[in-house]
Amino acid sequence: MADQGGSQHGIARTSRVRSEEQKQRDLQRIQKYRELEDQVRSHVSRADYSPQLFQLTSKLLRLNPEYYTLWNVRRRCLISGLFSRPSAGSSCSTACSSTFPTATTTQSSTSCSSSSSATTPPAPGSPTAGRSGTTAEPGAAGAPSGTFASDDPAQAPAADSTDSATAAAAAAAAEQQDLATIQSELSFTIPLLLESPKCYWIWSYRQWILAQAIARLRPHVARQVWEAELGLASKMLGKDRRNFHAWGYRRHVVTQLESAALRGASMVEAEFEYTYRMIQTDLSNFSAWHSRSKLIPRLLDERGADDAARRAFLDKELNQIREALNVGPEDQSLWYYHQFLMLNLVDPDKHPAMTRGIAAGDRAAYLAREIDEIKELLEDYPDVKLIYEALFEYTLYLCQLEDRQPTADERADLAAWLAKLKELDPMRNGRWADLERECGL
Amino acid sequence: MEPLSDTLWDVVICGTGLQQSLLALALSRSGKKILHIDPNEFYGGAEAALSLQEAEQWVGRISSGTGGGLFRAAAVSRSEDDTRLSPSRAYSLALAPTVIHARSALLSQLVSSRAYRQVEFLAVGAFYIFKPPQDPAQKPTLARIPSTREEVFSTTAVATKSKRLLMKFLKFVLDYEASPQRELWQPHADAPLTDLLRQEFKMDAELQTYILTLTLSLDDRISTRDGLAVIHRHLSSMGVYGPGFAALYPKWGGLSEIAQVSCRAGAVGGAVYMLATGIKETESTDDGVKLLLTSGDSVKARMLVRADDSPNHNQLSIRRLVAVVDSPLSSLFEAAVEGAPKPAVAVIAFPVGSVEEASGTESQRPIYLSAHSSDTGECPAGQTDALDLALQAFLRAVPEDRVPKVLFKLQYDQLDGGSESLGSHGPVFTFPTRSSPLSFDDSVLEPVREVWKKMMGDAAVEAEYMVFEDREGAVDDDDVY
Repeated sequence: MADQGGSQHGIARTSRVRSEEQKQRDLQRIQKYRELEDQVRSHVSRADYSPQLFQLTSKLLRLNPEYYTLWNVRRRCLISGLFSRPSAGSSCSTACSSTFPTATTTQSSTSCSSSSSATTPPAPGSPTAGRSGTTAEPGAAGAPSGTFASDDPAQAPAADSTDSATAAAAAAAAEQQDLATIQSELSFTIPLLLESPKCYWIWSYRQWILAQAIARLRPHVARQVWEAELGLASKMLGKDRRNFHAWGYRRHVVTQLESAALRGASMVEAEFEYTYRMIQTDLSNFSAWHSRSKLIPRLLDERGADDAARRAFLDKELNQIREALNVGPEDQSLWYYHQFLMLNLVDPDKHPAMTRGIAAGDRAAYLAREIDEIKELLEDYPDVKLIYEALFEYTLYLCQLEDRQPTADERADLAAWLAKLKELDPMRNGRWADLERECGL
Repeated sequence: MEPLSDTLWDVVICGTGLQQSLLALALSRSGKKILHIDPNEFYGGAEAALSLQEAEQWVGRISSGTGGGLFRAAAVSRSEDDTRLSPSRAYSLALAPTVIHARSALLSQLVSSRAYRQVEFLAVGAFYIFKPPQDPAQKPTLARIPSTREEVFSTTAVATKSKRLLMKFLKFVLDYEASPQRELWQPHADAPLTDLLRQEFKMDAELQTYILTLTLSLDDRISTRDGLAVIHRHLSSMGVYGPGFAALYPKWGGLSEIAQVSCRAGAVGGAVYMLATGIKETESTDDGVKLLLTSGDSVKARMLVRADDSPNHNQLSIRRLVAVVDSPLSSLFEAAVEGAPKPAVAVIAFPVGSVEEASGTESQRPIYLSAHSSDTGECPAGQTDALDLALQAFLRAVPEDRVPKVLFKLQYDQLDGGSESLGSHGPVFTFPTRSSPLSFDDSVLEPVREVWKKMMGDAAVEAEYMVFEDREGAVDDDDVY
């Protein structure tokens, strides 16, 4: 069980009444934690980014994934040795002769250590790992300090770095090792994420590992890693649909998958469809609606939609949100999306995607229609304050659009709605009073 | 092992139906000397799941009049084309197909007693309603019944205004026991639910039918009080164990599996099990009872627990049909929403009047069909078992390329036992028997608890009923270190 240090992101830390036994157990745990910590500090102070240190970070991070310095130590361990080569932008697909920048140093470390390395490197993350006999070069902190003999020691690339066949084999083996390391690291973070799904440092580490995938692996290999990541993002969102970290992360993953580095293509249609599926599961999902709104401009551009198609699209979105409001008028996330659509109409310069071809008169008609539709909701939902707020706001939008003051009827309506708001939400009386004054009611 | 007759048993439990089996589970850590017998050669009693051969034998016994108990008019048939039927053991046809709602007390007991670890639960999917075709030339259809806000949002079968009425009702029911909701329905408590729906919620006939279906009741005149209770349980069960479903179904035969798991727990706790053994004679003694078993053994026990298997009136409780069809009916078993598990059971309701019977008249009572996919383990892949008199209508309504064929049919009537409550005469306790409704009725659990209390006497601690720790080795330790 992980004892967690810093802030908890909503995971309760209760102060429990402890028995003497529990207290002793806790003291032991604290002792063990401190010991691990001391060992880590000792290694770091000697710049000894060895497999031993790597193992220590595993243990300590399981106890406290919020301890971000440890994640940095772990990164250094990887760069210092567990990854097959420095990630100085070197591409694996080119001939290997050019990818050993510190060829002479690596030669020596390779030959030192080659005698004890196995043909298949053990997975770095496993408890029994300890790459026998291979350590990072001491004192080389900051500089890529040598590679592991991931290739067959008999090949000794140092001996013949211009032999492209050997070099290609070496590169392939190196890529395999890096892939294994990357996957092992990703696996390592999973149980930690399940326990602390909102811990920034774990996500940040994952992102770093994924970036390493792009840097070190060939595009189609890296792509597989990233596609699995999208699967993870979906799974996390399945568990907690409104985790906005997960939504932001998903957007990041999708952006990478679409990028040239991963030989990607646009995923905007699939992502748009995804937001709909999430909404079907739970209408009240701010992040899903937000994502949807962000995707629309690109979606329409990619479809090559003309003005008529864009208008049809707007109609469809309006119908859908109205259906949603029909069953969930108390839900603020729905009103936010509705308001987004209204703003598209009111301020087409700022939001041209759906409304650029719609004439001013038509836009006013749209608004007027929405106001009427919303008034219908009052038939069955007389006490939902968000309805009154929307009506109030949209009436003002309409006036703004038509560049006029409210009519007498409209003023009567506004006053009535404001009265209702005061009744339903007395806590915000100050705000209602302000509105009253501003509108001269 | 000493002979049965040498022991003074604390209890002899006769029958391995659900109630008796749950009692065995409840007593499994008590150290009591328990002899648990069943006249059948299989576990489960009236809740058993039978292979094809067992079904045929069971029908034979009922028809010959030797021990049908509460069952009558049983018949079985195979289609002529039965080469497509898999071997008998590939089937496990549940006699009492019952879905268990998430908020059911049965699940809480299975969890607290740790017996849930032995059961694999599957999701029960959408509830559908059968819609006869408007035009006789057309196919009938199945429409999903919406019971959450999201389902109401998605459905195209309900008009906008009706959706609002539906939402109002759903919200009302979710909190129906609080004020001011209570004041609204209390005056109608014993009147049919449909009255309330029409008068207070302004629902039209179609909407009323949807709501009635949510009760899964075979009585379309179900009272407001009962109807609201059942619908409340359904709504508050939605999403409890995952998105998109409200009820569970145990794999490998439903309640039969729960009975078996409970008996297994009883056996682990030291109970002795004997199948194909019934009671021939019962005699009162100073200590309790003396029983002559059909095996020839004579045993003495402090208590005897059995189920009531003699109806005292010939009023039909329920008529059932089990059918195996030659299609997987995949359209019924699709996951409803993102992240929802694939359901293994679907329920289709045929409201009053939706089926035209042979005589040309319309059906007078609601009919429910529960379709079980091969995921339930009850039939091989590529087949489903469905229960219904309106089976043929259903087979026409399902969106498939061709109308599926029936390969095997088992039909029977089931009566309720004569007594309404737990019978207790001296050392003999008799569980009241009711045919299991489509949705598990928690009231079945009460008599089990009562008998347990009597058995445990002063040692009975209510809070510890069905609450056990895992036995050693039962759980894998997933230790981080």
